[in-house]
Amino acid sequence: MDHRPQAWGRPRDDVYGAYDHSYMQENGPKQNTQQPIVTGTSVIGIKFKDGVVIAADNLASYGSLARFTDVKRLRPFADSSILGFSGDISDMQYLDRHLTELSLSEAYESPDKPRLNAANLHRYLSKLLYNRRSKFDPLWNHLLVGGLDDNGEPFLAAADLLGSTYSAPSLATGFGAMLAQPIMRRYVPDEESAKKLTREEAVDIVKEAMKVLFYRDARSLDTYSLAVVTKDGVELKEDEKLENQSWAFADRIKGYGTQTV
Amino acid sequence: MAAMFSQNPLMNGPNYSFSDAPKTARGEPREHAFNPYTDNGGSTLAISGADFTIMAGDTRHTSGYSINSRMSPKVFKIGGTTANQDDATIVLSVCGFAADGEALRDRLDTICKIYRYRHGKPMSLNACAKRLSTILYQKRFFPYYTHAMLGGLDDEGKGAVYSYDPVGSYEREQCRAGGAAGSLIMPFLDNQVNFKNQYIPGSGEGHDLKERERRTLSRPQVETIVKDAFDGAVERHIEVGDTLQMLIITKEGIEEVFLPLKKD
Amino acid sequence: MTSIGTGYDLLNSIFSPDGRNFQVEYAVKAVENGGTSIGIRCKDGIVLAVEKIVASKLQKPNANKRIASVDSHVGAVYSGMIPDGRHFVDRARDEAQSWRQNFKTPIPTADLASRMGGYLQAYTMYGSVRPFGITAIVGGVDTSEETPVDGEVGSGPAVGAGGKVPGKHGGPFLYMIEPSGLYWGYYGAATGKGRQAAKAELEKLDLPAGNITIHEAVKEAARIIYIAHKDNKDKEFELEMTWISTVDGPTKGRHVEVPKELREEAERLARAEDESDDEEEEEKKDDDNKMED
Repeated sequence: MDHRPQAWGRPRDDVYGAYDHSYMQENGPKQNTQQPIVTGTSVIGIKFKDGVVIAADNLASYGSLARFTDVKRLRPFADSSILGFSGDISDMQYLDRHLTELSLSEAYESPDKPRLNAANLHRYLSKLLYNRRSKFDPLWNHLLVGGLDDNGEPFLAAADLLGSTYSAPSLATGFGAMLAQPIMRRYVPDEESAKKLTREEAVDIVKEAMKVLFYRDARSLDTYSLAVVTKDGVELKEDEKLENQSWAFADRIKGYGTQTV
Repeated sequence: MAAMFSQNPLMNGPNYSFSDAPKTARGEPREHAFNPYTDNGGSTLAISGADFTIMAGDTRHTSGYSINSRMSPKVFKIGGTTANQDDATIVLSVCGFAADGEALRDRLDTICKIYRYRHGKPMSLNACAKRLSTILYQKRFFPYYTHAMLGGLDDEGKGAVYSYDPVGSYEREQCRAGGAAGSLIMPFLDNQVNFKNQYIPGSGEGHDLKERERRTLSRPQVETIVKDAFDGAVERHIEVGDTLQMLIITKEGIEEVFLPLKKD
Repeated sequence: MTSIGTGYDLLNSIFSPDGRNFQVEYAVKAVENGGTSIGIRCKDGIVLAVEKIVASKLQKPNANKRIASVDSHVGAVYSGMIPDGRHFVDRARDEAQSWRQNFKTPIPTADLASRMGGYLQAYTMYGSVRPFGITAIVGGVDTSEETPVDGEVGSGPAVGAGGKVPGKHGGPFLYMIEPSGLYWGYYGAATGKGRQAAKAELEKLDLPAGNITIHEAVKEAARIIYIAHKDNKDKEFELEMTWISTVDGPTKGRHVEVPKELREEAERLARAEDESDDEEEEEKKDDDNKMED
């Protein structure tokens, strides 16, 4: 046994092999985030004539393990915008705290009404994400921001870990870009059709898309959060359940696993 | 990454301009790590005329095979004094990694604005072109991954186009196509704008063939060439499509036109 | 103030032989000249009000706010030297923010009062500083809900180790902090020029019994500020009022200004009572005159 104080608290050399002291060294290269750890899957959003609907399920996965099943991935800001987070959950929490601080200091300056609308918030966050990627220390998220723009028109835009931004009548991150986006685009191929869409229709489309995501995305959950943003504020429901599921299609899937005919 | 800006398809089978799976120098698959770049596709085109310049680009924004947005313009007015850039005289187009493109646009725009406030006049295109080169070269070892082009009118009022590589090397040109379908459009421009390989039929054999007389193109002619170039690019390149954005810079100001392209 | 001129009042860090810190006592004088501030603690929330003396007719009405938010659930009002009050609020905001950073939860009003008490007390001990020329009233509603940690994952175990503690949490709290750093919790607090009249009125409300709602408290607060202003009639004033209800109330636990209609209604009632009092006094005077006749 090695009784020297230097060895205290270290794994035993005779059991684990020599301890790699470079782990405790402060100098040497600093390593930043190389991959997300606990993750949230798709966020989807669609514009309608008076606002925006956004949804995301309540699951946080650890690889293929469904680790946390009641994680709220939609976050209102100043009761006038909504943010949907996919990607790393700890980075989401970091952003959440950052935004709490921001909204408080904003409220000091302008207590009566929020100064930052969804468009301002989206620009702020995309700059934040772009700055972090430029430091090679990214926040591993893909966000959707919903709300109203400077003219009071519905606003929906995405920002990702590279600082890329884009806006469209319907948006989806991750798997949703493959599975939900084609469904939503059938209803809102362009801005004109989004201007005609009612709130009820938008909510139904999003619910349908969430169902398809649950059918096919293995890292998804049937409990989800859904938010509607209009000029009257944010209505956020965090414990929605998928309705009218039908797995009849599963019978017709052939050619996977042990099934050969 | 090398494939991103290469205008040639990779040699190992069918490929697209957005590169294949990352490999190490030894050809093994590279371990997943953070890559600060991506390619958002799209194409840009700039042609200068006698007293005008046309800057154009499609408005599609892609990630791999996905279309993120059908309306994400990449041609911007630079250095105006208002939010909608009403009084701008210079136009910048950026193609490649869109986030870098927008960061570059914001940088150049503030620089032009500061110049205007300090000197009481807008920056000349020539000065702006040089400045843009410096901005790009300042990030020589972490470049803005974009193919930038600057268009406007020179000091004599003639149309002018400057084109850049990602690290700031630049040149004034008659015309240039950039981005995903740059290599598809450029030969078409050589032929239609610079009259390359156009000869007068029956004017001789071999080297005696007489070249067709080169003329400066009128604005309607250039507009037609731009439209045709993009219709061709849309047909052959999956990352190009949706809407054609055209900015026409004349001494009267900047006109902006949006025309439909195929959405497939 | 018998010891004035003996030299013991020139420095903060020196006691007088009879155990007084004169600098602190002078700071209290500064407070006693300021516009009256009051705070009311009810079962369902907090009401803060201030008699904002209008220094100049050229100031924009309803601008230049005197009641500040410290955190989303905490408000502060003060009487005395306004710049000192501004610094007090800045510090309180820093404390609230650092509490959130450390504990991922909003600061309880009691802890904020304690931190600010400690802060003000430090300004009574050094020769190089002077005490704060304000008395501050800090009111907050600590959330009665299960406090979510900012951005927490999941809701944690429902029972057992690390689980929830049953019973009522949080609620409205009100503290008053004096230049000495002394602070106590109150049901009703008043400071500034009209504090004596205001305190007398607050006592009549029997606040500890918990019988009045914040809506009633808004009207009482307006009335009390109007009464307190009677000693200061030569100066114009504006009534500024904020409130914080519990989460199930009108402000949903947030510190916000009392809505304009409600404030104007409360002011109308306060003014009406004020005038009827004046009439009574006039009549009384008339009666006296008659008797003399």
